[in-house]
Amino acid sequence: MAFSLAVPRSPAEAVRLLADAPPGGAEALAGGTDLLLDIDAGRVAPSRLISLGRLPWRTLRRSGGDLVIGATLPLRDLERDPRLPRDLPGLYRAVRAVGSVALRHRATMGGNIARSSPSSDLLPILLALEARVRLVGPSGPRELPLPELLKGPRETTRVPGELIAAIVVPARRPSAYLWQRVRPSNDISQVGVAVARRERPPYWRVALGGVWPVPARLSSVEAILDSPDPGDIAVELAAQEAARCAPFVTDKRATEAYRRRLVATLLRRALREVTVP
Amino acid sequence: MTGGEGTGNAALALTVNGRRRRIRAPDAERLLDTLRWRLGLKGTKEGCRSGGCGACTVLVDGRSTLSCLTLTHEVAGATVTTVEGIGRDPVGRRVQAAFARENAVQCGYCTPGFVVALTGLLRERGPKLPPERLLEDLGGNLCRCTGYAAIRRATEAVCREVG
Ligand SMILES: Cc1cc2nc3c(=O)[nH]c(=O)nc-3n(C[C@H](O)[C@H](O)[C@H](O)COP(=O)(O)OP(=O)(O)OC[C@H]3O[C@@H](n4cnc5c(N)ncnc54)[C@H](O)[C@@H]3O)c2cc1C
Repeated sequence: MAFSLAVPRSPAEAVRLLADAPPGGAEALAGGTDLLLDIDAGRVAPSRLISLGRLPWRTLRRSGGDLVIGATLPLRDLERDPRLPRDLPGLYRAVRAVGSVALRHRATMGGNIARSSPSSDLLPILLALEARVRLVGPSGPRELPLPELLKGPRETTRVPGELIAAIVVPARRPSAYLWQRVRPSNDISQVGVAVARRERPPYWRVALGGVWPVPARLSSVEAILDSPDPGDIAVELAAQEAARCAPFVTDKRATEAYRRRLVATLLRRALREVTVP
Repeated sequence: MTGGEGTGNAALALTVNGRRRRIRAPDAERLLDTLRWRLGLKGTKEGCRSGGCGACTVLVDGRSTLSCLTLTHEVAGATVTTVEGIGRDPVGRRVQAAFARENAVQCGYCTPGFVVALTGLLRERGPKLPPERLLEDLGGNLCRCTGYAAIRRATEAVCREVG
């Protein structure tokens, strides 16, 4: 329970503090909404937290055709960006799905990705938007497609001391994110379905959360959707394919059979939301 | 604490309900415990202590915040408003009055969280918001007596008044 807190002023200092610590000895602290609970539950026991609160990453920038989301920007600030609901409706819906307003005043996208939860509401839409992740670490910066960062629940391919600095998505893309849960607020999604439509082929990107240890794209479903405006038959085939692919988990939140039904229903609705103006 | 190295029990300053407070607190201390046990402000309630119920909601620089999941040192220098100070804010005053008038209180344990969260929402989003959206955005606050109907009436009433 007892830990000390360091508050570095620069990314380089934060990286050094993390890289120099013994394994498991130090953890980065962003909003703390996952980490402090993990500490309370004894899942991790760092002797030192390295606060990211003073790093210059609470930013939101549009550059070229990209939206660059600073890793430590509170999710609420992203949600309140006036252009987000229109330009990236799927991302807007996904951000609003996370916890509650008070939670989103502190919770960040960097923390959500680093925590890499099977039922994250942000990972499916970020996968569908083909997000790239900018990292800084002991051997300098690099940029990765999101799938290359995700390894398993609470596991990423970051090297010790490496931090997520920013997330890059297209500034605009027709998209949707639909979820199902027992309670609308502050509950974990049983299933999350994200779709995004590109301007050129391949047109569709489809990703699922809550069904596997790591949220992932559904390439077999994307292949069925080969037109920007799929008809009823293509939508139905896509929904059936999505419900049929690789085994889904059964846990206390939902059975595999229920998850399959949810995935098919939510995918149908999500595709219609994006295609029907 | 400041700088790169943690001393474990550093001094910090907070402005709480308009009063500047200088305190010492362990690095791991939560804002909830600082408010209740160090500053004696017991209006802020501990519910689930895991971010799920909203009973511990306070405003930090005007933004509703779960004090159970916030390290005190992470908000060093900030302005904190708890339910004890919410009536100094004209919007907060109206929220309190509406809750009292509509009897939006049963056991009262969740009330400080609701009052603070609603005040934060009204201040942040302005009165232009439809009441349905306000109610949706209050979803992080639970009432275990399920006195939601009265809370909803109070929320709709304030929304009309402030609008
Ligand atoms: C009541 C409650 C409800 C929730 N509801 C949802 C929900 O509906 N949907 C959902 O997806 N999530 C939910 N969450 C989980 C959590 O709030 C989110 O995952 C949040 O985005 C985590 O961000 P954070 O800044 O708080 O991370 P932190 O807790 O600060 O960090 C989480 C992990 O990431 C690491 N980390 C943080 N930032 C970085 C970085 N920039 N680079 C490298 N590593 C980093 C930390 O070391 C830690 O291991 C909920 C949590 C609670 C308590």
